[in-house]
Amino acid sequence: MGAYMDELTRAMNYLGQQQNTIFIGQSVEVAGTAMRNTLLEVTTDKLLELPVEEDFQAGISIGMALSGLVPVSIFPRWNFLLLATNQIVNHLDKLKELTQMDAPGKVIIRTGIGSENPLHPGPQHTGDFTDAFKLMCPHLSVVRLDTKEMIFSEYKRAYERTDGVSSILIEWSDKYID
Amino acid sequence: MKIWTPQSLIAFEEKIAELFNKGEIRAPVHLSDGTEESLIGIFKEVKDEDWIFCSWRSHYQCLLKGVNPEDLESEIVAGRSIALSFSTHNIYSSAIVGGQIPIAVGAAISLQKSKSKGRVWCFIGDMTSETGMAQTAIRYSEKHNLPIIFIVEDNGISVLTETRKVWNSSTLRFEENMNSTVRSFKYTSKYPHAGAGKRVQF
Repeated sequence: MGAYMDELTRAMNYLGQQQNTIFIGQSVEVAGTAMRNTLLEVTTDKLLELPVEEDFQAGISIGMALSGLVPVSIFPRWNFLLLATNQIVNHLDKLKELTQMDAPGKVIIRTGIGSENPLHPGPQHTGDFTDAFKLMCPHLSVVRLDTKEMIFSEYKRAYERTDGVSSILIEWSDKYID
Repeated sequence: MKIWTPQSLIAFEEKIAELFNKGEIRAPVHLSDGTEESLIGIFKEVKDEDWIFCSWRSHYQCLLKGVNPEDLESEIVAGRSIALSFSTHNIYSSAIVGGQIPIAVGAAISLQKSKSKGRVWCFIGDMTSETGMAQTAIRYSEKHNLPIIFIVEDNGISVLTETRKVWNSSTLRFEENMNSTVRSFKYTSKYPHAGAGKRVQF
């Protein structure tokens, strides 16, 4: 098993090999974030760079899921993901109830707790809202990837699950440089 | 599939109004009126494979997309009027202002990527059309040539707030920047924003 970053790359490669996945967000097609470095082996036809508007991105993810794709929707930090709370709480978390479907489609949300080293970006970039989202989204799988051993299995589980449950997987950015 | 006329649509909604006023629907309803001819015209272009995204007022759209009226009535009586979804008919609605808009865009991207012939029809009100989400979605869809059409159902008010008055503008942005992605029609309704005009005490 490789380091934290290596395991993330392995997980993204696995997701990238699945026929119905698509990776969306900012800095998925182009450089700009550390997360982007885990997508370098994913074929470009699976990468969709979006304007920065988090609630728009989250809604797009849901629409893709309803229509047959499995979007891997990337928000580099929890603090940014907060701007997508409307779509996540009011729609994604309620999707099975709203559609009355056992498996209406699923979204894999990838986010992170901002790194504090070597540069500390301050309080607007280092939030961890995992516990709050577990409370607000009882129908989502919200998992913080505390160890590298969790990474591949959790992403694989998020993709393979057949119960229509979407996932929010949270990474520790400080572990990227283990 | 049943052929709907303005009269038969009105009759369906009047039946729902009666059920609501009798206290047989223990949940909010948002009834349609005055949009019959416009919607019938639009749905002549809608194909089975198309997707419909609506707000909290969607009874007519569901019927015109082919939902069995008995099934729709059951859903309404069960309390799901404000967020109706029928997966077999590709219909999804949201009771959150503008909530359906980016979801509709996501479906349109899927259709474009799969080279499907299907299209997305996204119904919004005039106040919603002024929100940032609507502006973002319309601009993105237009610039990416997505197979989506936004329909602005314009009654000039949001609940009782006058849209053009609060924006201090005689025109709304969709009127100032009309393009092929957006269509609109005006209407007035005999029904209030919610309910059927009679206070119901449960």
